[in-house]
Amino acid sequence: MTFEQFLQYIFSGVTSGSVYALTAMGFTLVFNATQIINFSQGQLVMLGGMIAVGLYGAGAPLWGAFLGSVAIVVLVAVGFERIAIRPLLRKGILAQVIATVGASFVFETAAMLIWGRDAVTLPAFSGEEPLSVGGATVVPQTLWVVGLTIVIVVALQLFYRKSLFGKAVRACAVDATSARLQGISYSRVVIFSFALTGAISAAAGVMITPISFMGFHSGSLLGMKGFAAAMLGGLGNPVGAVLGGFILGIVEALGVGVVSAGYKDAIAFVILLLVLFVRPVGLLGAKMGNRG
Amino acid sequence: MLELRGVRAGYGRIEVLHGIDLTVGEGEILTIVGANGAGKSTLLKAVSGVVRISGGSITYDGERIDPLGVENIVSRRLIQIPEGRRLFGPMSVEENLQLGGYSRRGSGSPVAERLERVFALFPRLKERLSQQAGTLSGGEQQMLAVGRALMAEPRLLLLDEPSMGLAPIVVQDIFTGLRRLNQEGLTMVLVEQDARIALSLAHRGLVMERGRIVLEDSAQALLDNPEVRAIYFGRRNAGYRRGMEKT
Ligand SMILES: Nc1ncnc2c1ncn2[C@@H]1O[C@H](COP(=O)(O)OP(=O)(O)OP(=O)(O)O)[C@@H](O)[C@H]1O
Ligand SMILES: [Mg+2]
Repeated sequence: MTFEQFLQYIFSGVTSGSVYALTAMGFTLVFNATQIINFSQGQLVMLGGMIAVGLYGAGAPLWGAFLGSVAIVVLVAVGFERIAIRPLLRKGILAQVIATVGASFVFETAAMLIWGRDAVTLPAFSGEEPLSVGGATVVPQTLWVVGLTIVIVVALQLFYRKSLFGKAVRACAVDATSARLQGISYSRVVIFSFALTGAISAAAGVMITPISFMGFHSGSLLGMKGFAAAMLGGLGNPVGAVLGGFILGIVEALGVGVVSAGYKDAIAFVILLLVLFVRPVGLLGAKMGNRG
Repeated sequence: MLELRGVRAGYGRIEVLHGIDLTVGEGEILTIVGANGAGKSTLLKAVSGVVRISGGSITYDGERIDPLGVENIVSRRLIQIPEGRRLFGPMSVEENLQLGGYSRRGSGSPVAERLERVFALFPRLKERLSQQAGTLSGGEQQMLAVGRALMAEPRLLLLDEPSMGLAPIVVQDIFTGLRRLNQEGLTMVLVEQDARIALSLAHRGLVMERGRIVLEDSAQALLDNPEVRAIYFGRRNAGYRRGMEKT
């Protein structure tokens, strides 16, 4: 492999890694608030992409389609929490996890009925003219994806570390009852976490659609990758989620280069199994707490 | 200030409190002693709304609070320090204190002023502001638990076994702090297994057995009561010697 090729794979790795990172972040936010693994996480990303394509097709400008999609997926995620998660609160976590599996089918079927079976795409945010970096080429959309991901991650970190409400959300992840005894509304924290997850997922979906197409069934693979990334970094640890996302993306891209493109999607699965066997708490360890 | 009438509560189908009556007057310290499983913690949880009551009523400042949610009870400055302290272990001392003031964000005295009051009481906390709460010593953790509660500027403070797991000398430090707070006007309900130290702080005491209040008297009278001395003094869990087990 030449250096230029290597660089090319890295660029491609950090691009998909960004999306895995944000998807993993979605898993993390919901898990920290509720201890639930949200099996419809990938479908939220898919909805983000599909809704943006729909809005763009209906004549909205690209930025309008982006923001509109974020707003709609936030509503979907909040509605999902209200309708399917909260009423099951007393039934235990298993019932809630099953509800998320059900939701993933609902989201997929709805997407298929609304937008059909074909994969769709969006124009890149700012042109398709590739740039040359160190002998490798980068499309501008890659810079958008990585740049926006960094902005989102940094903003989240500031929110969780500096704002009182962000600290309250972290406190709920540590000990929800004790948090309530400080006057923190746990149900508000849960709603907020679902809303934030919806926003981040939608953003990830919209950003990646110009690069890799989106179809009604894209969510399950994205969800699996995001889950592998979250597990790799340590489920419940937001910094780990981001790290896991980028590592997975880069390893996947290099795997394509060294082994074969045919194995690309198996890599996430192998990493997931390795984590479960070798280090179930992930690279940075589970719980968020002070790392949040 | 606080009044319970015929309070029943439990977990699922199991009733733990079988009709509790008690009152707490403004400015007093009421101590509740009882063996393991007597229902002391359940009683405090019922008052703070963590456990729903299935009968009776809880009135605070003339207002029924038993239908309210935990957050709304806390916002009335009725604050509980739960059993086992329940600090936010991975978060810093400072963040724990800030979260203690969550219910009075945007109201009450400025946060900096409240912090100074906590440091005046427990100077050790000031030196450890950026340390993870979970890495504090047991005594420091209890100071933080009290400090975190004070950040909410409580009018009524419920303490569930603040002496748990602490060396006697450390317990003295904590109780000295509590006495000072009471002298400044803070009303407290103090739950303890070891009656001696708890009653020495209190004005009045209750003895709880299997979900009922079996004895109520001034703290001094209870301290002199030979039966109380025999069962609840000294060794923790002494109640087991008389065959009192978890129900
Ligand atoms: N979450 C719960 N679910 C079911 N039963 C519970 C729960 N918490 C407490 N109990 C039961 O309620 C009874 C009273 O418990 P509680 O914790 O109120 O006792 P306590 O007087 O505080 O005891 P200790 O001195 O050991 O703290 C016990 O029989 C206990 O097993
Ligand atoms: Mg107890």
